[in-house]
Amino acid sequence: MNRSKIFRIITYVLGPLAVISIVRLWTDQDALTSSNTVGTALRLTVPILLAGMAGLWAERCGVLNIGIEGMMILGTWFGAWGAWQFGPWVGLLFAVLGGMLGGFIHAIATVRFNIDQIISGVVINLLAFFGVRYLSDLVFVGQPGGGVSQSPPQTSAIPRFDLPILSGGQIGGWKSPDVLAWFETRKWFILGDIGGIGRGLTSNLSWATVIAVAIVPISAWVLWRTRIGLRLRASGESPVAAESLGVMVNRLRYGGLLVSGGLAGLAGGTLSIVASSYYRQGQTAGRGFIGLATMIFGNWRPSGVLGGAMLFGYAEGIKLVASDSIAALFLFIAAVSLIFFVVAIIRRLRVRSLFALGIFILSTIAYQTVSTVPESLTQSLPYVVTLIVLATANQRLRPPAMAGVPFRPGEPH
Amino acid sequence: MQLGDTKPNQDLLTSDAVVVELTNISKVFPGVVANRDVSLKVGRATIHALVGENGAGKSTLMKILYGLHQPDSGTIAINGVARQFKSPSEAIDAGIGMVHQHFMLADNLTVLENIILGLEPTKFGVLSLSDARARVRELATSIGVALDLDVPISELGVGQRQRVEILKVLFRGAEILILDEPTAVLVPQEVDELFVNLRRLVSKGTTILFISHKLDEVLTISDRITVIRQGSTVATVSPNTVDRLKLAEMMVGSDLPKPGERTTKIGATTRLAVRGLSVLEKGRKNPVRNVSFQIAEGEIVGIAGVEGNGQFELCGALLGLLSSEGTVEVGGKDVSNLSIRERLNAGLAYIPFDRHREGLMLTAPLWENALLGHEATLSRGPMIDFTAAKKACREIISRFGVLTQNELVPAFVLSGGNQQKLVVGRNLATARTVLIAAHPTRGIDVGAQAAIWEEIRRSRDSGMSVLLVSADLEEVLGLSDKILVMFDGEITAELDPKSASPQILGKYMTGAR
Repeated sequence: MNRSKIFRIITYVLGPLAVISIVRLWTDQDALTSSNTVGTALRLTVPILLAGMAGLWAERCGVLNIGIEGMMILGTWFGAWGAWQFGPWVGLLFAVLGGMLGGFIHAIATVRFNIDQIISGVVINLLAFFGVRYLSDLVFVGQPGGGVSQSPPQTSAIPRFDLPILSGGQIGGWKSPDVLAWFETRKWFILGDIGGIGRGLTSNLSWATVIAVAIVPISAWVLWRTRIGLRLRASGESPVAAESLGVMVNRLRYGGLLVSGGLAGLAGGTLSIVASSYYRQGQTAGRGFIGLATMIFGNWRPSGVLGGAMLFGYAEGIKLVASDSIAALFLFIAAVSLIFFVVAIIRRLRVRSLFALGIFILSTIAYQTVSTVPESLTQSLPYVVTLIVLATANQRLRPPAMAGVPFRPGEPH
Repeated sequence: MQLGDTKPNQDLLTSDAVVVELTNISKVFPGVVANRDVSLKVGRATIHALVGENGAGKSTLMKILYGLHQPDSGTIAINGVARQFKSPSEAIDAGIGMVHQHFMLADNLTVLENIILGLEPTKFGVLSLSDARARVRELATSIGVALDLDVPISELGVGQRQRVEILKVLFRGAEILILDEPTAVLVPQEVDELFVNLRRLVSKGTTILFISHKLDEVLTISDRITVIRQGSTVATVSPNTVDRLKLAEMMVGSDLPKPGERTTKIGATTRLAVRGLSVLEKGRKNPVRNVSFQIAEGEIVGIAGVEGNGQFELCGALLGLLSSEGTVEVGGKDVSNLSIRERLNAGLAYIPFDRHREGLMLTAPLWENALLGHEATLSRGPMIDFTAAKKACREIISRFGVLTQNELVPAFVLSGGNQQKLVVGRNLATARTVLIAAHPTRGIDVGAQAAIWEEIRRSRDSGMSVLLVSADLEEVLGLSDKILVMFDGEITAELDPKSASPQILGKYMTGAR
């Protein structure tokens, strides 16, 4: 590692951390980086992350998947049913299978019959919504706690654990010290924040969360380091070229969509099994579409999707845990945009400096007035924050070139 | 001379080992005889050119050899063994590789990924990237190609992309390489580089089948030339026994129309005046710097230059696609601050550089393509006048000899030459006064080329002023009344086409003078 790389890491990691630390100390809003906030954020990140990964797998193999929301709905229902009948782990498996069913329908429609990919996705969303309502009527109605829009509650949950040493988890029978908590309670500049964030990420972890996060590097490894991954990406970038080299494009698209559906189903499963203990109608609440947004934000890359999902999760988490801290969050955005503004001025980037200035002014106004704004408006906070970050992020998006374009093998092109 | 005198000279090959032998190949598509009793022998480690007009059947013949089509009759023998290829993969197994005219590359994947795709070296399904990299690099150096293997294709130029295609084929172990019009997309230096690579390949024992209609190049690079016309072989000749003109006549089947000396006079009024035009670009040397010239009524001014020396930006600035400094006057009216639409209305017409990217909507029917830019005249209120638009398209089709069933077929069905005729026709059909023609005949056959040149001359004779941007020296010398050489964003010379030779032009174009 050379010096400029170290320097970059320091500016990109410690810089924002320092800013948020200052804001926290100034406003006395410890919730900004408390382990409670970060832990909630992580739990809210998981379904969005999985939905984003579902979109990534579909688009990388060349098929748009608007139906992720519907596949998630299938995941929530089948997951809840499986968990209610056989326990949480089997429930997650059923969630994956339910999502895969949606992915398979999408594959049949778009790959086999060349139905427009958007239309097929929309149909899957509608079909899933009304389909599970029908299934609920058949299965859940009449059960204790169950109904047409709700499943009976599950009796057991996926186990949770604390990481040893960092967050006081057990090793054998020995209770290790909770180092991060010690720092968090001291509330020192930066160190207190590291403690809070670190503890949020390492304590009271659900195994389902670990699996979800592990899917990110696994996906990256499969897509970029294996033969099947290269061929799958080639099917999304240039199916004609891939076909001319003997790659079975449509077979890979089936595979990609099954993985996509499975991940969307798992996303739904985490909602109905991990985040709560029953299925409820409307539980997905548009997270499938937010997942698609994080996929674009993440530039169709697993690490980017993770970043985007964490951003959504954090904004939503702070809204849930500590709505008082929303004002402080706006102060943080104001501070960051002010830094962007100064940097843009120094680099003479006129458009970007104006943009940063605009955001600075807006977030300052928001900081001053947010406590008087009705709660229904602050509900949109996660979207506002993400939109701001999306708009200011300097990136060249590079979607798979042929995603969304139907491919008929063996025809002249 | 009579064409019948040129007998197929098959005994040229007696001393060579025959690698590919096609005997009496016929292929009929619904309504069209693509190949009729074609026979061809290709010697080992030679470059064998196939020349012929677009639609003459040379591509079909090569697609039959590559297994993309199956012949209705006739036999294929590779190294003396009779073969039948049902698919390209069978041809690949027999050591045959084809580089298509339109590259089959995934833009966002890296060079290495594109080359190894479908034949990836792996360990338990995991890519062995270092192994692959070493093998590809060895292959590349052996034919003298330098490429960064880890950049995405989108960052490469056309010449480098072609090199990737060739490496892709060689990586599959091809010993017989089919190149479909490899030079159509290349600029002169890239052609030279390609030829060096091809020669190296041949010296290592590869046999190359080279489809082209650029006769000078064919004469330079080939060991044998087979001429195909209307699906049949006319002759197989050695390059030192024929010249360009004779080859062209064999291709077309009749004497080519000779451009007569111009009989009309250049008018006195200035139609296009450009003063001190510069295109500014941040972070780079300005691509066009302080360019001034004038074009009179009925005059053709040629801009000669190696591609990438500011011609593209110059045309963009004239049309208002790019912002620029300096003044542009069309018909005495300053259009410098006008929009693109207003400039077109002031009399500009444009034949774009790349007909696929800027000229056509490939999947739209011809009549919609012909309508582009003329929506104002071919509509009633906000509604398109379908009858008038289709009629206008039919007029272009008949006047410019576009070979097509009707005006309703999508543009991608047409051959390159016919697509270009449509684009040219669209811009010459209206009464515009200044035509900017960028590479008007690039990548099309001699027949279509002659037709387009004739149309440009006819428009000139009727008073149109033409700015002709081209890298084809023959075109620039043959059409222009005045030649400006553009080098590195500036006009470096003004030449009289009567006294300039390709050699002199070439020196100016490369900055040697």
